[in-house]
Amino acid sequence: MGRASSKEDAGALFHSLRSAYAATPVNLKIIDLYVGFAIFTALIQVVYMAVVGSFPFNSFLSGVLSCVGTTVLAVCLRIQVNRENKEFKDLPPERAFADFVLCNLVLHLVIMNFLG
Amino acid sequence: MRSLSFFFVFLLSLFPILCFSFNPESPTDRRVLVLLDDFSLKSSHSIFFNSLKSRGLNLDFKLSDDPSLSLQRYGQYLYDALIIFSPSTEKFGGSLDLAAVIDFVDSGHDLILAADSTASDLIKNIATECGVDFDEDSSAMVIDHKSYAISGTEGEHTLIVSDDFIQSDAILGETKIEAPVLFKGIAHSVNAANSLVLKVLSASPSAYSANPESKLLSPPLLTGSAISLVSVVQARNNARIMITGSLDLFSNRLLRTAVQKSGSQDKYDKSGNELFVTEISKWVFHERGHLKAVNLRHLRVGETDEPAMYRIKDDLKFSVEIYEWSGKSWEPYVADDVQVQFYMMSPYVLKTLSTNGKGLYHASFKVPDVYGVFQFKVDYHRLGYASLSLSKQIPVRPFRHNEYERFITTAFPYYGASFTMMAGFFIFSILFLYNK
Repeated sequence: MGRASSKEDAGALFHSLRSAYAATPVNLKIIDLYVGFAIFTALIQVVYMAVVGSFPFNSFLSGVLSCVGTTVLAVCLRIQVNRENKEFKDLPPERAFADFVLCNLVLHLVIMNFLG
Repeated sequence: MRSLSFFFVFLLSLFPILCFSFNPESPTDRRVLVLLDDFSLKSSHSIFFNSLKSRGLNLDFKLSDDPSLSLQRYGQYLYDALIIFSPSTEKFGGSLDLAAVIDFVDSGHDLILAADSTASDLIKNIATECGVDFDEDSSAMVIDHKSYAISGTEGEHTLIVSDDFIQSDAILGETKIEAPVLFKGIAHSVNAANSLVLKVLSASPSAYSANPESKLLSPPLLTGSAISLVSVVQARNNARIMITGSLDLFSNRLLRTAVQKSGSQDKYDKSGNELFVTEISKWVFHERGHLKAVNLRHLRVGETDEPAMYRIKDDLKFSVEIYEWSGKSWEPYVADDVQVQFYMMSPYVLKTLSTNGKGLYHASFKVPDVYGVFQFKVDYHRLGYASLSLSKQIPVRPFRHNEYERFITTAFPYYGASFTMMAGFFIFSILFLYNK
C-alpha cells in the first residue's frame, strides 16, 4: 500500500515537472540545452583525465574551465532574461545578452592563453 | 768563508729532495721501522730482511723498548710502514703505544705483525684492533697431527705444514707456490662478517689450538680451517696489514728447510716460505695490487666541456682512467668488470665500462626521465686490489617550458573541448537571437 503510493507519487511528480517545463519559453529552453552541452563536455574531459593522467595539467584546467565558465555565464544569462524573475524586471534582455557576449570573449581569451 | 756558507745553503736546499718522503705518485713504501725483541733477530731472519732491502726498502731496526722510538715528528710520519717482530713486548718504548700504532695504520700506512707463543697482551690487542683475534689461551699453539712436518725428532706436531692458500694473484703473485709453507706458532681466527679481513693461509681441517704440554681437558675452541695462520686486512683507506701467529714463518731456518708433509710421499727441497713471505710483503708494501683512478669526466654527446647541469633524456658519455702500480711505474689496468652507476638514492643506470686497453674506461648512456641531483659513482672492490670509490655530483633538470613539443598529443581532447566551446557559443548566440 505504501510502496504503491510512493511509486504513484514519483510518477505524478515526474509528470508535473515535465508539463511545467513544457510551459517555459523557447529561448530559455535553448539556454538549458547549451548548459547541458557544456556540462557534458566537461564530464568527458574529467573521465579522460582520470584514464590518461593529468600530464599537461594546464591544458586540462583550461578545457574544463572553458566548459564551467560557459555554464556559469549561460546560467547568468538565463536568470537575467527570464521574465518571471522579479529581480531583473527592469533589465532589458539586450543588455543581458551584451554582457554575456563580452564575458564570453574574455573567457575565451583567457582559455586560449592558458591552453599552452 | 763566503763560498763555504754558500755551499751549506746549497746543501740545505737539496734536503727536500734527499728526504725520500712518501709520495702519492709512487705508492710503494720506502722507510720501514722494524721493532725487534733483540738484535739476534737481524741475523736469524736475515734472508727476509735482505730481500726487503734488495727491493729498495730502507729498514730501520730498533729494539721495541728503545726510549727514542717515535713514529711521528712535528705531525709528519717518519716511516711509511711498520714491522713488529717483537711478540713478547709488554710495552713499547718512547712515544709508541697501542693508540699510536692504530693511528699509524688509520692514516694509511702498512703493518706486518708477527706473534708467537710468547705473545703479550699488547701484541694481541693490536691484532684485535685490526680485526683478528688470537687465541686467548696464552700457552696454546697450533697442533696438527695429520699435517705436520716430518723432521728428525718426533716433536709435538707443532711445526705444521699448510698449503691452503687464498686464491688471489694480486696477494700471492702469479707464480704458484709449489711447496707447502711451514708454520710454528699460535692460532688466530677471523670474524666471517668482516669483509675487510682475508685468510691468506688457513690451517688444515685437522688442526686445533691447544697447549702441547698438558693433556687436553675440554674440546679446543679454535679448530680446523677456522684457524687462520696468516691473515691480511685491507682497510678502507687502502692501508694493508699482515698478521701471523708465527715469527718463525720468516726465519732463515724455516725458509731453508726441506719439507715433507706427514702422510704424503712428496718431498720438497725447500719450503714455500721464502716465496710466500716475499710475495706477501710485496703486496703489503704496495708493490702490487695498488690501483688509482683519475680523470673522471663526463660530457654531453657532441660537446667538449663538462656541463654544469644535465637535462632529462640527454645523451652523455662518461670516462675514467684506472692505472695499476707495477712496483716502478703506473701501468694501465685492464679488466672487464668496472661499472659506473648514475645514482640518486638507488642506481637509475648501471653500466659496465669498456676499456681501450690503455687504462681508459668509457660508457655512454641516456639520462633517465627523473630529475634531481645525481652522482656518478664508481665503486670497485676486488680481492687483493686497492678499493676505488669515486663519485661526482651533477644536477639533472626537467624540460624547460619551451623544450616540449608545440602541441602535446595527450592534450588534444582539451584543445578540442575548448574550440568546441567557442563554436558552441557562436552557434548558441545565433540561435538565441534569431529564434521566433
